[in-house]
Amino acid sequence: MTDFEPRILGIACNWCTYTGADLAGTTRLKYPQNVRVVRVMCSSRINPSFIIRAFQLGADGVLVGGCHPGDCHYGTGNLYARRRLAATKKLLEFAGMEPERFRVEWISASEGKKFAEVVEEFTGQIKALGPQTKFRMERIKTAEAAAK
Amino acid sequence: MTDMKEIEKRLREEAKKLLESGRVSVVLAYGKGCDERHPMPFAAMKPEEADEIVFNEYCTPNLARYLTKYPAGTKMAVAVKGCDSRAVVVLLQEGKVNREDIVILGIPAAGMKEQKTGKDVDASLTCGLANPVLYDVLLGQEIKGAAAESPYGIISKLDAMSGDERWEFWKKELARCIRCYACRKACPMCYCDPCFIDQTKPQWGDKTPTFDGNLMYHLTRFYHLAGRCVDCGECTRACPVDIPLNLFHKYMARECEEMFGQKAGMDPSQKPAMVDFKVEDSDTWLE
Repeated sequence: MTDFEPRILGIACNWCTYTGADLAGTTRLKYPQNVRVVRVMCSSRINPSFIIRAFQLGADGVLVGGCHPGDCHYGTGNLYARRRLAATKKLLEFAGMEPERFRVEWISASEGKKFAEVVEEFTGQIKALGPQTKFRMERIKTAEAAAK
Repeated sequence: MTDMKEIEKRLREEAKKLLESGRVSVVLAYGKGCDERHPMPFAAMKPEEADEIVFNEYCTPNLARYLTKYPAGTKMAVAVKGCDSRAVVVLLQEGKVNREDIVILGIPAAGMKEQKTGKDVDASLTCGLANPVLYDVLLGQEIKGAAAESPYGIISKLDAMSGDERWEFWKKELARCIRCYACRKACPMCYCDPCFIDQTKPQWGDKTPTFDGNLMYHLTRFYHLAGRCVDCGECTRACPVDIPLNLFHKYMARECEEMFGQKAGMDPSQKPAMVDFKVEDSDTWLE
């Protein structure tokens, strides 16, 4: 699987991680293009079903970024998110999904470098794991096979 | 062993008293089914209907399920066993029912039997609680002695499996689901209208009983029950194809208890774990 390019869903909070990703861009840091970032207003906006659904629709990994606990733009959003995402992580693990495919990182707006590093590391991890086949829906598998 | 006849007698008396005095307009209890082994949930609305109330060892359904079926503000009495009372507590915590609207008739129950098989309910599959945690009237004697085994003992065999083995296990189990939604209907905590799986915008998962849709439905339901499931085992008992749903529910309950330090439905003054947070919650959960 040398030519395997993982598809990773990134869900980033508008105020910290998304701005951090912006900073990584403006400072011309290089990081893998495998992460497709979706912006949400807060990490507590994330419905855990988003993550299960992303895996079903063909994501090989999911990376969630939010403000550091205590730094939330809305005060307490990421503190709720922490509990929800922790439960989601346990759920995926018990269902048999490799827990490494789901990662939560707190990245602030000034941590462009950390964003680039996390993406680099996470992409490498997913590459080593190979394609995610467990949750991927049959019709997605068929469509992918046809597109090859 | 609980004296079922005695409880039945007291249940009828209490129901009659409450309905006659006008304290409540509905008494949720058990009534006659097709035979002795299949009692059904029954809502007594007139004092004379109180005599139709039945209680025996096959009365396993969780009546807390019906509290949310009546309009807000309806005065209700509900007969609850150990786990069922925890469900009532969760509904109180979540503001679905008001404490002053309901009268809780607690039943200390031990030695309940499965309707399907006629055997004793496997103690390792329920929360192991014999006495209700919250009640206004206790019908019968409180049962002394702690639960024989930990409610989470049964999941150790799944814990011991590798990720791939667990995936194969759940794949085999969930693929059998026929999507009758009996688990959702039986669950006291599943009161959403519409349920996420019935929504079309967005459509969260396939509605046909394919494995992909089943996976989405069940995983999301397991998540929605995290920190709320009271471990009554009704979903598993209701399942026509015998999927061991409560193994997953038990796992989520155990993890939430370990992480957030509270058990669902034990204390009406607590907030449910998933709508609460602590600043000192640990980041190690996410690693």
